[in-house]
Amino acid sequence: MRQPTKHMLLLPNLILALLFCITTAGAMESTDCLECHSDAEMVGESFTINSEHFDTTAHAEMGCSGCHESVTEAHPDDGLPPSKASCKDCHDDVYKEYTLSLHGSNASCSDCHNPHEAKSPTEVSGFDMNRQCSSCHDTAETVESHDQWLPQAGLHIEALPCITCHTGSENYVITMYLIKRDQDNRYSNFKPAGREDLERLAGEKPVQELVDTDNNGLISLSELRAFNNNPTYTDMRLWGMMTPESVTHSYQILDNRWDCSFCHASGPDAMQTSYVAFPEKDGTYNRLAVEKGAVLDVLNGTPDFYMMGATRNKWLNIAGLLIIVGGTIMPIGHGTLRFLTRKNREGKGH
Amino acid sequence: MSEKKAMIYLQPTPVRIWHWLNALGIVTLCVTGAQIRFPEYVNIFGTYKAAIELHNTAGIVVAISFFLWIFYYLIVAGTLVKLYVPNMGDIQHGILRQALFYFFNYFRGKPNPHHTTPENKFNPMQKAAYLVIMAVLVPLVIVSGILLLNIEPLRNTLLMIGGLKILVGVHFLLACSLCAFLFTHVYLATLGHTPFAHFVPMWTGWEEVEEDHH
Repeated sequence: MRQPTKHMLLLPNLILALLFCITTAGAMESTDCLECHSDAEMVGESFTINSEHFDTTAHAEMGCSGCHESVTEAHPDDGLPPSKASCKDCHDDVYKEYTLSLHGSNASCSDCHNPHEAKSPTEVSGFDMNRQCSSCHDTAETVESHDQWLPQAGLHIEALPCITCHTGSENYVITMYLIKRDQDNRYSNFKPAGREDLERLAGEKPVQELVDTDNNGLISLSELRAFNNNPTYTDMRLWGMMTPESVTHSYQILDNRWDCSFCHASGPDAMQTSYVAFPEKDGTYNRLAVEKGAVLDVLNGTPDFYMMGATRNKWLNIAGLLIIVGGTIMPIGHGTLRFLTRKNREGKGH
Repeated sequence: MSEKKAMIYLQPTPVRIWHWLNALGIVTLCVTGAQIRFPEYVNIFGTYKAAIELHNTAGIVVAISFFLWIFYYLIVAGTLVKLYVPNMGDIQHGILRQALFYFFNYFRGKPNPHHTTPENKFNPMQKAAYLVIMAVLVPLVIVSGILLLNIEPLRNTLLMIGGLKILVGVHFLLACSLCAFLFTHVYLATLGHTPFAHFVPMWTGWEEVEEDHH
């Protein structure tokens, strides 16, 4: 009875050992590949991979040979170009959806996505999403074409990733990014603050503490106000964009996106969820949640983010209503007394 | 006291054009503004975009009519200060006397202490109110509206005043104040010797007044 038990244990152990070897070999192989392919001088710019960016992608978990199956130990001396997997091998649904879309015949997957730096939608900033589009669609021309029907077209394009309207994306949230003056000049343009900019400001602290001062992973309204009022950060602002949580590759122009009320009549309830996204070293963005409804604050919470119709503040509405009601006091109050005392003025011409 | 009536030319054509352009513009701005701020509840102009475009157009019309008003009174007629700025007599007793009339003596059937002439169209309370409206509220609402129409090119100016949200808040509260003024203004205009006595001259230019009061 003892012998069969030994055999029974041996088989799983062998499988585990084999799996371990395969995994280790894969990891070793990627490390080996990147020894050369992270050095532009060795392999040239077009074959260079930013290993820091690649390591955090889902693709890195598969190892280089996951997509380049035919690569041999003798590469590159064997003179054989390694094979490349097609995106549709794994992303068949996305591939089908994309190729059927208006955009499908105009650009391949890799024209927009670098497979060695593939990121999830929430890890990409709205600026980067639009930068991707503007590599083919000139921004000035895009603004001009939208200007024919869209009020404040430039402002819309600055505050919305293109895919918000041009795909079937859903679940919009407000994501704020730190932007800073281009130069040490108070009138220069703003650009997204880079990781280095924030590290320089944060010093020893994590960059998130620039806004999330208590470092509890949630940015409160008072922390937002403190950031916006801090004189140290006068050349920095928080730029809000409406970003989709889930995206599709069905590039299309949805009918409801021509209707301004799709966004602007969404009401304050749709403005409850917001984030501040911080750039990471690997080129991705890491989001911290912001207190619910912070973008509705009337003063210093998000001083530059205002979406007509949607981010209206309740207390400001009440103040406005009281002012208007104040204007009716004279007609109602005076008018009532005027009616009651009308006999005093009879025959007196007023 | 004589009962004899006379007609005086009170409101010259440029003033009437300005007034009605302004009135139409401000009413349009109030209604479209309501739809722009509360699109889920107010939909008078069909689409949100239509409301925005009408609001922007009405805003430009009000801004142009404001400059027409200032050009006429300051340059052509030269009576801006005399008509709109309360003098010492107005401040010392005129405003109080007029307020006493509106809120007390009017109900007792006493006569209005102010007698309208082309050179002295407004009573002291009107002068003070119109001065605040035309020298503070209207210019501020126009400037804030122009800034909101040009957010991108004027971004540095917006940042200097504290950001877009403060600007929108100021624009909204100023607009509410002008809306509130409209109610009071229209009501007070009915306090003439007949309810429409003050409306007619703003249309025809001519007002019927008592020729000799004392």
